[in-house]
Amino acid sequence: MNTRHLVIAVAVALLMGALSLAFGRFGAYMVNAVAIAGIGALSLNLLIGYGGQISFAQGALLGVGAYTAGNISNAGGDGLLAILGAGVMGAIISALIGIPALRLRGLYFAIATLAAQAILEYLFKILDPITNGVSGLVIRPTTILGIPMTSDRSLVVPSLVILVIVWVAVSRLMRIDLGRSFLVLRESEIVAKGMGIDVAHAKILAFFASGFIAGLAGALAGFANRLASPEAFTLDLSADYIAMIIIGGLGTWTGPLIGAAFVVLLPEAIQRVGEAAGLSDILSPLRELAFGLLIILFLIFEPRGLTALLSRLKPRSLAVPAPGAVPATGESLPP
Amino acid sequence: MSLVAREVTIRFGGVIAVERMALEVSPGEIVGLIGPNGAGKTTFINCVSGTYRPHTGTVRWLGDELLGLSPSTLLRKGVARTFQNVASLHDLTVLDIAKLGASARKDRQSGGHLLDFFRSDSALERELLEQILEPLELADVAHKPIQTLSYGRRKAVDLARALAAYPQLLLLDEPVAGLTSHEGMAMAGVVRNVRDRLGCAVIMVEHKMDVVMSTCDRIVVMAAGSKIFEGLPAEVQADPEVRRVYLGEP
Amino acid sequence: MTLVLQLAVAGLAIGSVYALIAIGVVLIYKCSGVVNFAQGAYAMVGAYVSYALLRAGLHPVLAIIGCMVVLGGLGSLTERLVLRPMLKAPLVAVMMVTLGLLIVARAACLIIWGPDQIAFPKVFPEGAISAAGIFVTYNYIAAGILALVLSFGFLAMYQFTRIGLQQRCAADNTRAALAIGIHVSNQVSIAWAMSAALAGLAGTLLATLNGLSLDLAGIGMIAFPVIVVGGLSSLFGALVAGLLLGLLQSFTDGLLSPVLEDFLREHTSIYSVGALQQVVPYALLVLMLLVRPQGLFGRRGTERV
Repeated sequence: MNTRHLVIAVAVALLMGALSLAFGRFGAYMVNAVAIAGIGALSLNLLIGYGGQISFAQGALLGVGAYTAGNISNAGGDGLLAILGAGVMGAIISALIGIPALRLRGLYFAIATLAAQAILEYLFKILDPITNGVSGLVIRPTTILGIPMTSDRSLVVPSLVILVIVWVAVSRLMRIDLGRSFLVLRESEIVAKGMGIDVAHAKILAFFASGFIAGLAGALAGFANRLASPEAFTLDLSADYIAMIIIGGLGTWTGPLIGAAFVVLLPEAIQRVGEAAGLSDILSPLRELAFGLLIILFLIFEPRGLTALLSRLKPRSLAVPAPGAVPATGESLPP
Repeated sequence: MSLVAREVTIRFGGVIAVERMALEVSPGEIVGLIGPNGAGKTTFINCVSGTYRPHTGTVRWLGDELLGLSPSTLLRKGVARTFQNVASLHDLTVLDIAKLGASARKDRQSGGHLLDFFRSDSALERELLEQILEPLELADVAHKPIQTLSYGRRKAVDLARALAAYPQLLLLDEPVAGLTSHEGMAMAGVVRNVRDRLGCAVIMVEHKMDVVMSTCDRIVVMAAGSKIFEGLPAEVQADPEVRRVYLGEP
Repeated sequence: MTLVLQLAVAGLAIGSVYALIAIGVVLIYKCSGVVNFAQGAYAMVGAYVSYALLRAGLHPVLAIIGCMVVLGGLGSLTERLVLRPMLKAPLVAVMMVTLGLLIVARAACLIIWGPDQIAFPKVFPEGAISAAGIFVTYNYIAAGILALVLSFGFLAMYQFTRIGLQQRCAADNTRAALAIGIHVSNQVSIAWAMSAALAGLAGTLLATLNGLSLDLAGIGMIAFPVIVVGGLSSLFGALVAGLLLGLLQSFTDGLLSPVLEDFLREHTSIYSVGALQQVVPYALLVLMLLVRPQGLFGRRGTERV
């Protein structure tokens, strides 16, 4: 276990907890939203940033988690059971999505995940008995270990606890052979094979682990919104998560959290500025516009993300290029 | 003989890259595989290491057929290889690469396992540092990302990865290409050391003749996909046919 | 039988519009290796631009030409300003930046033209023909024929003209193209301009059929099943697959959905199959990728080890 990472994770969670107490109900709402987005971004960073498998289906995977948790909880199951169930279901569906990745790579696989996203969205709409169709599944307030989760304030605790566990677990994962083999896989499958890594095994486990974490995030999102509906888990959500991990810094440990905070808080900030400037009428499209423009500018001018930007501000680290933030393809085998 | 390859043939489209190639290696023996560019040396290594699947032929290792097995299965059978060009692997440190190599040992799940999550690997770390990285003079950079190392040292890391699996058959694809002659001689010394320590069989593809002559026990010369000569280093140097084909003499 | 014919005509009309969009995506992919998620944005913006020009009193022909010129400019501008600085960025970042373009375009249209669906001005004569028991509006016929003619015209241009030759050369081998004096980055700009113009036209045609709204941007997503089925690098494949998927959607909507719905209502508690025609292309995409990843007309990429 990397002690430094554990300390950082706990400290960040405590800080977020303090913020949620300091800023009342709205503070709790925002902290909860950032924590959930952070967990989701960690799951996607594991897949894209570390494993190199581009997926546009993470939004739908969160949906799988939300629906699963909602059904378990509504049926009287404890919230913790619901969250774990959501993780398992997310892992299974994610591994299914990953199966084509055993034959396809790069672009082709990315397009296949677009299809997975579309198909899951469609299933959310039509599988009435589990999803309640287009109107969405109302999730009644759950209880976790007997404690009723009636507000964002009470939900902040499980969200932050899960965030810390996932964050530290990802750090640990990248320090064992499996995590290392993800990194080799990201650079080149050919190299990975040559090094004797069982590529299929590693890939499926990457999807499995990522899906499990996405399921947890989805469950928490479902409990926070008290609703799981098809409109909440569209391709736009997948795009948001991809934006988070790129803005934060692909394949970095702190990037997903920084990116999640940025993407969740930015619209709120624009909202505030817009209200102050008296632009309330066109605020919502303006927010979209600013969000889209910022993503584009970011990708053009700082493709290695906020993490790289921040580390460049520290003069000490000027000499050290942020390793691996931009995965390049390296082929080590001769033709 | 522990490695016996017979009649290995592989075609790419209409091009026959390796044709009816035969090779035998005993434990503790270093066999040099030389020949002009395009002779099929690396392709042959690729066939033995499971990267390519030959159309015909057999490659038996201690009686087991190797052809058709994946590189990961081969590694667990004790067959490891290095690469001509070293991969650029961001983020991974020298020790990480060595650990990945060690993960291919028989007793461990190749490519890692989720259960490693709860295991400490400090014992393995110590062992790799002492047994593998120290002799290759990589111990001082064990925690550095390999991107920061010189080309020569990265080649040493690739060798360390292969050695960490404690192979019984080691396939080296141009281990000293691109290295300075000083680095090259050091690498050759390491290869002999490894052979002495592990008692493994080594096949070495290499162009640098001084390294080949001083390192190998036996030399096999390939040209146009087939073996044209086999013998002791001194015999190879003296053979007129080899000189004509390989050294370009009339 | 008349139903089948009716569905086939509608499917071909829509399918030819899909083909226009998909040809643009393939063109960009061939030339610059970028998979453009913003193709739907070009279609939507194109429809709004045509609308604005028509409202300004321009003749429909001029309006459509004007729209294609504006979109062509937008396309090459996108390439210069956004994609060119990202030449060395990872694949996922490039895909994401085109998604960012989509978000920006949608927001911009929302600010300028508002969220409500707008009735598109009359472009083609009203009325319909009925023959052999089927009934097709002039609008559908005109849109379908125009899209088809332009698709074929574009393919012919790509195959037979000088600019087409330069395009093919730049797409085939960048270095070789540079060596024989082709200005490759200009060719990439031209490819973006042409595909944006085609998408703008497709968006306009679609708006004449279904009305004008922000939802038009969603059409860009259908391009992905189309190009995978046709083969990622085949323009002709995009044309054929566009028509094929138009037909498939039409038949799914008209024939399969009702049957399936009856069956599900009888045997399960699922009441509706929803927009099955929208998800069928994706199912086909997955099937295609698993069975024949190179698509109907694509070449199998040779992977060197």
